[in-house]
Amino acid sequence: MSGLQLYLILGAAVFLLGLHGLLMTTDSIRRLIAVNLMGAGIFLIMVALAGRISPPDPVLHALVVTGLVVAISATAFALRLITAAARVDSGQSAVPDKASRLASKSESDVAEDSRP
Amino acid sequence: MTYALVSLSIPLLSALALMLAGARLSNRNAGIMAIVTSLLSLGAAWFCLLDVAAANQSILLNLGGWENGLAIRLRLSPLSSLLLLFTAFMHVLIGIYAGFSRRGVSRDFWTLSSLLHGSLAALWLSADLFNLYITLELLGLTAVAMVALAGKKAYKPAANYLILSLVASLFYLLGVALVYGRYGSLDVVLLGLQTQSDTTTRIALLVMTAGLMLKAALWPLHLWLPAAHANAPTAVSALLSGLVVKGPIFILWLLWSEVAPVDLAQQIGPVLAVAGMIALVAGGLSAMRSPYLKTLVAYSTVAQLGYAMMALGLLMAWQLPQMHVALWLFVIAHGLAKATLFLAAGEMQTTLGTKRVSGLRGATQTVPVAMFAFAVAGGSLIGLPPSGGFLAKWVLLEPMLSSPQNWPWAFGVLLGTLVSAAYIFRVVAISFDRARINPPDVRPDRLGHWLALLPALMVWGMALIGEWLIEFLSGGGV
Repeated sequence: MSGLQLYLILGAAVFLLGLHGLLMTTDSIRRLIAVNLMGAGIFLIMVALAGRISPPDPVLHALVVTGLVVAISATAFALRLITAAARVDSGQSAVPDKASRLASKSESDVAEDSRP
Repeated sequence: MTYALVSLSIPLLSALALMLAGARLSNRNAGIMAIVTSLLSLGAAWFCLLDVAAANQSILLNLGGWENGLAIRLRLSPLSSLLLLFTAFMHVLIGIYAGFSRRGVSRDFWTLSSLLHGSLAALWLSADLFNLYITLELLGLTAVAMVALAGKKAYKPAANYLILSLVASLFYLLGVALVYGRYGSLDVVLLGLQTQSDTTTRIALLVMTAGLMLKAALWPLHLWLPAAHANAPTAVSALLSGLVVKGPIFILWLLWSEVAPVDLAQQIGPVLAVAGMIALVAGGLSAMRSPYLKTLVAYSTVAQLGYAMMALGLLMAWQLPQMHVALWLFVIAHGLAKATLFLAAGEMQTTLGTKRVSGLRGATQTVPVAMFAFAVAGGSLIGLPPSGGFLAKWVLLEPMLSSPQNWPWAFGVLLGTLVSAAYIFRVVAISFDRARINPPDVRPDRLGHWLALLPALMVWGMALIGEWLIEFLSGGGV
């Protein structure tokens, strides 16, 4: 097996590992890590493909660098959003009054709607 | 081409300026600035439409003056000029709605909507697979940030939307890497001359298609859409459903109509068309059962995108140029109609103080303009003549009806029409229930209601320029 093939298979394996993690977990942070793993797999494939000719293909290197920038900013944004969502969740459970009031309100809404 | 670049860079620069200005600019001034820049971009888009119509062919530009193969190319086709115009128009309209109707938006909305406008314009003009990936990511990140504008409640749907959107782009990126590894080129035009249907190309195209279908919320990968679109602020929902989901469809269309080898497209086409047919029925049934108005409208997007997917699938299967026209007429008619539906739904919700469809009892009396707008736009979704939706459906149906072996497809369109009619008439019927009126909480915001009506009238106006539109789109759709 040539080096290129080995790295391509490795890249595909990392990608699939990430996909598996994404489908099997529900925790947002874990899913984000899984997404990053998928990204790493793709970058590995791209860097390996760059080595298919000699000297290595600079276009693919440029693409990987661009892809990394996108991945970093997207991950930062996702982390902020996930932590904010988690804070909202815990905040709501700390104030049961409001939540139960909302719940009873929607129940009365349903009752009103089912009236003939 | 110059005008196209102007139309693209004005909103980008405006987004940058708005971000730098930050709190120094009052919310109102930021809004006025965003609307004015959208108007300027609209003007530039109009001139580039005239340019293309005069040249009667696509105009290519190699960025940075590099030679073919290395340059990132931009392409202005008749279709992209029309989409530029459409995007700018929607931003002007929704900007005016967001700025002047009673429901205000936060300052961040203006930065994000300008950025959204810029990334969409870049997407319509790109003719390079990797550049399309970048615009796709820009579009996704901006859209997620706009969903999060709705406040705390929307953070969770926004986070889920972001993760799905990232996964979808990664699938697309994997395909791009494979295509480049196989052919050593990323340019759409050059790839179209080279591609063969071997295993690598097959895998690459399928992976890209899966990613783009997830992004565009095409059945069966649509489950994220109702949560994201229904939780966003009204103006944002209209932008998301009217414009954002059309971006991935554009790339999908580019891939299968230009890059993919014909025999592969012919194999995959029927599968996509069947998925579109299922989307029509499944999305329509979910819309029919939805208790909430905005969720109903969001599911209707899933259903209507089924038409677009059906047109794309049949385009691939039959290689009929007429299907290009059907696809893009659907996209534009749906964009206009959906803007009305979301704006009208948002206005009715605020005025009547309920999110439920059942709360619309007597809406024809209490919020007549918004309800009229809803019904008129709904008519185009159903495909009643002489609306834009009817025009698109007519173009789609014509080749189906002309040969008997294609009649099953026509049956699918018929079924979709019936389901669309069912969920639109459900809302309209409840609104005529004047015996048990749900009294409005506040006086209707007249401007907001009339603005909601405007795109609905335009979608019916599409029929007036129907012949010109069909000719323009078929005379060199690419």
